[in-house]
Amino acid sequence: MKSDNVTKVILSVIRKHIILTAGIIVAVAGAVITSLIPPLILAEIIDTITQGNTLPVKVMLIFFIFNYFLFIVLTGFTESIRECLLTVFGQKITHALRSTLMDKLTHMTAESLNHQEPGAVVSRFVGDVDTVENLFTSGIISMIADACRIISILAVIWFKNRGLAIVLFMLIPFIFWFTRIVQKNMLKAQLSNRIAVSRASGHVPETLHNIRTIHSLGKEKYMEEKYDTYIEESYRAIEKTNFYDALYSPIILITNAVVVAVVMVLSASGSKNVLLFFGMTAGTAVAVINYISQIFSPIESLGMEIQTIQSAVAGVHRINEFLRFDELPSEIKGDTHRSYEDYLQEDSVVSLKNVTFAYEDKKVLDNFNLEVKKGEQVTLHGRTGSGKSTVFKLILGLYEPQSGEVYVCGKKAGSISDSEKRKIFGYVEQTFHMVPGTVKDQITLYDTEVSFEEVRAAAKMAGIDETIMDFENGYDTNCTEELFSQGQLQLLSIARAVVKKPMLLLLDEITANLDAQTEESVMKALKRVSEDRTVISISHRINAETGRVINMYSF
Amino acid sequence: MTDRISYYFKREWKILLIIAVSGIIYNLGILAGPLFEGKMTGCLVDILGGNAGFSKMIMLVVSYVVVIAVVQISRYIKRFYVRRFSNNVNKRMKSILYKSLVNKSKTELEQEGVGDVMTKAILDVDDCAEGMRKFTTEIFDTGIALSAYAGMLLYYDWRLALISMIFPPISYFIAEKMKKVVQKTGTTFKEQAGILSMATLDRASNALTYRIYGCEQERKESYEKNLSAYEKSAVRANIWGTALPPVYRVISMAGVLFILYYGSKNVLGTGWKLWDIAVFTTFLSCFTKLSEKSSHAANLFNAVHKAQVSWKRIKPLLKDIKYDNKARTITSGELTVSGLGFSYPDGGKIFSDVTFSAKPGQIVGITGAVASGKSTLGKTFLCEYPYEGSIYFDGTELRDMDSVCRAGLFGYLGHDPELFNDSIRNNVLMGDEGDVWEYLRAVCLDGEVKEMEQGCETVIGSTGIRLSGGQAQRLALARTICHKRPVIILDDPFSALDRDTENKVFDNLRRYAGDSIIIIISHRLYLFSEFDKVIWMENGRAVTGTHDEIMSKCSEYADLYKRQ
Repeated sequence: MKSDNVTKVILSVIRKHIILTAGIIVAVAGAVITSLIPPLILAEIIDTITQGNTLPVKVMLIFFIFNYFLFIVLTGFTESIRECLLTVFGQKITHALRSTLMDKLTHMTAESLNHQEPGAVVSRFVGDVDTVENLFTSGIISMIADACRIISILAVIWFKNRGLAIVLFMLIPFIFWFTRIVQKNMLKAQLSNRIAVSRASGHVPETLHNIRTIHSLGKEKYMEEKYDTYIEESYRAIEKTNFYDALYSPIILITNAVVVAVVMVLSASGSKNVLLFFGMTAGTAVAVINYISQIFSPIESLGMEIQTIQSAVAGVHRINEFLRFDELPSEIKGDTHRSYEDYLQEDSVVSLKNVTFAYEDKKVLDNFNLEVKKGEQVTLHGRTGSGKSTVFKLILGLYEPQSGEVYVCGKKAGSISDSEKRKIFGYVEQTFHMVPGTVKDQITLYDTEVSFEEVRAAAKMAGIDETIMDFENGYDTNCTEELFSQGQLQLLSIARAVVKKPMLLLLDEITANLDAQTEESVMKALKRVSEDRTVISISHRINAETGRVINMYSF
Repeated sequence: MTDRISYYFKREWKILLIIAVSGIIYNLGILAGPLFEGKMTGCLVDILGGNAGFSKMIMLVVSYVVVIAVVQISRYIKRFYVRRFSNNVNKRMKSILYKSLVNKSKTELEQEGVGDVMTKAILDVDDCAEGMRKFTTEIFDTGIALSAYAGMLLYYDWRLALISMIFPPISYFIAEKMKKVVQKTGTTFKEQAGILSMATLDRASNALTYRIYGCEQERKESYEKNLSAYEKSAVRANIWGTALPPVYRVISMAGVLFILYYGSKNVLGTGWKLWDIAVFTTFLSCFTKLSEKSSHAANLFNAVHKAQVSWKRIKPLLKDIKYDNKARTITSGELTVSGLGFSYPDGGKIFSDVTFSAKPGQIVGITGAVASGKSTLGKTFLCEYPYEGSIYFDGTELRDMDSVCRAGLFGYLGHDPELFNDSIRNNVLMGDEGDVWEYLRAVCLDGEVKEMEQGCETVIGSTGIRLSGGQAQRLALARTICHKRPVIILDDPFSALDRDTENKVFDNLRRYAGDSIIIIISHRLYLFSEFDKVIWMENGRAVTGTHDEIMSKCSEYADLYKRQ
């Protein structure tokens, strides 16, 4: 994938949806322009009325009134269209970003994957991407629109009443500065409120949990007082927000009134020098009053948009961080002309030659050699950290050795294509990873090529078929954690491993967390599935049936 | 009393009075804006036409700014106090709820999920108080303001007012009708968002499984489908939300057509009324504000409705009951247990016929096999469930005492240290006066606490998550010693401690609680030889005696003791 950061993804979306992008530009500009016109027409109407009652005046008047409403309608509709297009565009970006992230997840090295906390991955995919979406739906674009609005209102006023334009021009930076201060303080108060609220709400479950201690120490009153303090804390924070919230618009509106007053006084002053700047007709006065009140709301929104952009920047930063994780080398090219049947002919199923492997700086395998022939049963034995699991990971192609070579059925591990994997090896994990879907999906892993008969055959072999058939919907039962016991999940895991009849089975300490009784049924199932197969297992315990034992030593 | 909504309004009458006065000033004064703007425009026309002097404009302008300032300051006062009102109500309700929660017994809380109900009720309070706030706000802002605007329009020209006022309700009506669609798409969107999060979580947590089994490509495609479904539902849900408001605005503004047409006729002298320019502009801006305000009317109904729903849920829980949490008198006395038996209300006998007695300063050890009922024996003294037989303390039967008195006599520390997300100091003293270090020293925790960055002010996290198991256990023990009772029951208090520490802590315990009866339940026996009495429990039966007696009487006990 070429798109390796957020900007590139966004640009590619813009390129792909060029008409949509153009539509947004037109709609944004259209909404700004159409909203400017009604006050101008209103000015004309008032000036026309003051001219007196003649026939041409009446005709003109109807024409103006019609146009006035027309532009109100137009403004409404362009705004509506702009919002629609922005929504669509924002979602396109969201979609593209998530696709890119998913693509990244697919190409990430197993090591990087291991470092990912699933919850954190979800918050990148969901939360961080949403902030980027907001960047478009309520950030940059509305910011541009608001800036355009402010500038164009100023421009109109400049032609109508030059003096006022100068006054506003000087006033705007101060208003903006005031807006930002209020918003920043509100955000701060909101944050401390959130902390206080979470403390107060955490106090309730804590009380429930510790009720015995509270009663036996006679601390009911103390706990009540604690709760009151926590609520009090959160109220102090809310009160602060209230203060700024209640303060902001009165100040803005009083400023608004003062500006109107000044303009009125100056334009009524009668002094020629002043009138050069502030002179206007009654109609213009109405229009100007209208514009002045229009200029304050975009300033307020501008402040909010800056906030949105700030939080989006943090989101973008986190997404880019994710996109920079190590990727797998692009496709190790093996001999692609060989078919699955060819592998079956190989006598050597697994072969590790002089393999050295280290995690960061800890060496796990040093010049390790292992040769497993067709039909052999091999057990890897050794203490934790001796590299047993690493051998598996190398065979599965999850990791690349630092030196030496790993072959599976004569083919380089890691170069086995996705479609061949399940035919060549089955892997029974230490813990069962449940996937969303039905019981059948647990076994097929969504592979539509697997027939129902094959699924049942695998389940029978694993000894879990009866349990499944006892469910009301059999194999189509929706799979949940409560449905199976720990041991049964292990059986399900075995069915999953053998359903595509692989020639090699890898068993990763699957009886480690089982009680004696379940262990027995798992062992029986394993015995059944191990027949006519090459099996490599990891185990702490060794018994008569474990076959050839490879002892591994830690460094 | 406290379960009536009027109680909360009455309690806040001072604040409500301020709100009412400032609210009326603000909402009536809001008319001043359009009125003055019209007058000023009219005055400007007069001045330009030479019919009025500059001084008239100055007068107008000054009063305009003053009136606006007064109005806006009232608005500030109103907004601020409305919020304070809702905060106070919220706090009062929560306090009452919490009070009844903290005074409920453990059994009560465990039955029928009372605990859950209370937790939810506390969340409901937020909705309810928010609803009360909105109700109070909107009564002024929508109710009074709308009628003031409407009144002014009617006053200037009632026919024109009626015609133009048709449109805002139409827009409101359409918006209400559309709400169903908006809600429906909104629900679908939320569902899709849930599905997508689940899919993401699955993809992230099963990444390696999918890689091993070669399903990554298939999973990617399936995720892509999720993304497309999400995109579609998100666009649908958001388009209704963002694209319609401008349209509603246009509809409610349609009255402007009539105002401009008939209004200009009025000005020209051919209409229903005789207007000047000032009235014309006032009327127009009054109408614009009215149509803006009317869109808020829906908020009022929603808020009230939501508040009603949550109020109904919390109302039955809001009874203010007086609880007596007075200080207890602590005396020491003799404990006599005879024929004590216990079975849970829903069946199975746990143990029966336990008889022993202890004098102040004595230590009783209880031990036995797994599930022999020794923990239950300890808990019996808490009287959470009724017991058979009798427990006398200082000559009074335990079940006849009230819970306050009982809690003053028996201290209990179970398996769960039950620590609080608070500082170490508060966890030990629980609001009492005293030297926290003394108690920390008693449980050999002082050294570790000193090394912590904030010492005994260190906040230990929810359920003491920032402490190790042994630290948590010792901290809880320090708390128990600090709140010494004539009888102290400790269930496995040293299980996470090494033998050395255990010995030290035990010696200190003995010193600090020298005049108390200490009952220790444990499966580690090396301290048992120092105890005054030992109770061996097996299959619901108890054998009582001194350590030496039990050693000779019970071979299992002897075995267990020797194996230590």
